[in-house]
Amino acid sequence: MKKKWTFRWVSILLIFVVIASGCGNTEEDSGNEESASQESNEPVVLRAIMEQVPDSDIVQSMLEDFNQEYPDITVDIEMLPYDQMREKILSSFLAPDPVYDLIVVDNPWMYDFASEGFLEPLDGMIQEAGDAYNYEDFAAPLRQIAEVDGQTYAIPFYNYALGLIYREDLFEEHALNPPESIDELQNHIEELTTDEIAGTAMQPQRGYKIFEEWANWLFAEGGAIQDESGNIVLDSPEARNALTKYIETYNASAPEDSINWGFDEAMRAVSSGQAATMLSYNWMLPTLNNPDGAAGDLAGRFALTEVPGGKSVLGAWYWGIPANTEQKDAAWTFIEWITSPEQDLERVLNGGAPIRMSVMEEAGSHEDGFGEDYYNTVKSILENASPLADGPNAEEMIQAVGTELSEAVAGKKSVDQAITDASNKAREIMNEEK
Amino acid sequence: MRKNEVMSGVGKRIVSPFISFEWRMMIPLLLLMAVIVAYPLLYSIWISFRNIEIIKPSQNDFVGFGQFATALSEPLFWIAVKNTFTFLVIAVSLELILGLVLALALIKQKRFSNVIRAILLTPIFVTPVAVGLMFRFLLSTQFGLITDILSRLGIHIDFFNSNTALLSIAMIDVWQWTPFMMLMLLAGLESLPKEPFEAAYVEGASSWQVLTRITIPLLKPVIIVAVLIRSLDALKVFEYVYAITRGGPGTATETLQYYIYKVGFGFYRLSEAAASAWIVVLMVMLLVVVFLWRTARGESR
Repeated sequence: MKKKWTFRWVSILLIFVVIASGCGNTEEDSGNEESASQESNEPVVLRAIMEQVPDSDIVQSMLEDFNQEYPDITVDIEMLPYDQMREKILSSFLAPDPVYDLIVVDNPWMYDFASEGFLEPLDGMIQEAGDAYNYEDFAAPLRQIAEVDGQTYAIPFYNYALGLIYREDLFEEHALNPPESIDELQNHIEELTTDEIAGTAMQPQRGYKIFEEWANWLFAEGGAIQDESGNIVLDSPEARNALTKYIETYNASAPEDSINWGFDEAMRAVSSGQAATMLSYNWMLPTLNNPDGAAGDLAGRFALTEVPGGKSVLGAWYWGIPANTEQKDAAWTFIEWITSPEQDLERVLNGGAPIRMSVMEEAGSHEDGFGEDYYNTVKSILENASPLADGPNAEEMIQAVGTELSEAVAGKKSVDQAITDASNKAREIMNEEK
Repeated sequence: MRKNEVMSGVGKRIVSPFISFEWRMMIPLLLLMAVIVAYPLLYSIWISFRNIEIIKPSQNDFVGFGQFATALSEPLFWIAVKNTFTFLVIAVSLELILGLVLALALIKQKRFSNVIRAILLTPIFVTPVAVGLMFRFLLSTQFGLITDILSRLGIHIDFFNSNTALLSIAMIDVWQWTPFMMLMLLAGLESLPKEPFEAAYVEGASSWQVLTRITIPLLKPVIIVAVLIRSLDALKVFEYVYAITRGGPGTATETLQYYIYKVGFGFYRLSEAAASAWIVVLMVMLLVVVFLWRTARGESR
């Protein structure tokens, strides 16, 4: 019996040894293959991650043209919903073998990604690309976000700066001009409000949305979120005024029970004629005016203007190269191509959100564009726009401030308390490292 | 012949060169438990004493009880505790009452009882996140079927404003989990002895007396288990919050699981999230022990 058992144990041990050595061999083999492919300059597959949005579809549709010029580089795009992207990208940064060679970066992530060394600095590559690439042509506020501690870590992909979208026909009917101050905006909205139509569709949803919308009111009142050195300056009379006015307008003129509304709900209200105005992304205008789009018969009646006061909240997506990928050159080749003035014009004419000043000028006079007025307005918006947060832990700071603002709109906190708490939390979160 | 071999094998099974037969049979399960339960639990304790943040891979120092202190001093954590327990009390007590009513009705049903039971059980089979999304649309103020029907009847309710959101989420939980409570209580009712009921009938007790003096006291052990299971489950409420309100408006629906998720996977402060989670585990363990101890003491009296 004992012999039999010894035999069994030895067999089990042997099986383990065989399995373990088998695994070892596979790893070694794959390692060899990888290094061989790099040495012999074989076709490269760039594994990219992008958000499931129309702007990514436009890039996808341009890949055929890219491959005509660069047949050796295949761009394999994985499209994911926003909620899953940061996790996936971070896991790839931390993995011994990266999952992605090319990523898109949302502006609140920029500082954290760059300062931790996850992103490859691009200054050398930008310089090599030379005058034809014309890096300075990207709108200045967009370039500024990609600069962390004096180095450039990403190239703009598309902007999502805010503007005021309004019903031109209703403005004409009421003899109103685009508002130039928050007080004027409030008056306009009040005048446009009737039993049938709300003067404005607001987005007081807790977190990013309410902060993104309210910050425009803050800028218009002359306030700021951070000063030039990055210190939080939210605790100001301007911020209190802006929030008081924001709540007044929500209570008086926004659709009933819209306290949880975000982008989708507000967009639906405007496109279906239930609301006359909304603060939204500048590139929503072509979508709303598209006769085959959601607005149906109302298409063509919408117009875009700068946020009252002229300074708007800036959001933007960027192209970045993970520091841990082996395919940096191929990734840059693609980024340089897709963001070059020629291809960027193509992208913008296909409906992509603009980033280059020269492209906006050209697109304005192009027959496939959305008209000169539109591009001129977007140009002015991009000339004076600022992100919600620039610095460490931006994402958390945005959520914290957004929660406080939402508390005030819901009537759970006074304006004064909400602003004080928002400012203290923002300071605590962003200065953690300093 | 074969049978004899098997029999002889059974007779000898205690004799083993290294470990007893029983332990050898247990080893695969124990290894599996160690890998999938013990390791993550111990690992989460370990990281709760450090300052690990996914976004800062270079940072990994021992900070003692620092993360626990941070978690306990965070006002939002206590708001989440309050919201979660409010949710638990509303949801579980309603589920118990409705579940008991349904179980009492179903036990008397003679025809089609299986079909009716199967239909009533369907909400349990739907993934909670799908239930959340379903109600998000049904209760939407913009195009929700339920809000539309109510407004046609002249009733105007915003299900997700700062006063109603937590209650609405509790109601969604009631919709999904009352059938579970009903199932547990039904099984309990079916196993009750007949004699006390016959005696009550002979003595001329009213239905109310039968329910309060016989049925509920006899059903108490089942009720305790059902309430305990549902309460532990309700403490984990996450999907409805994630799918519908994301903790808002303000902090109205910030629940513990959502809060911990946000700290750990939204802001990547893994250590603080682990510390918060362990505080919750300790709180729950304490409550369960007190609850079971009190019921055991009540029973012994």
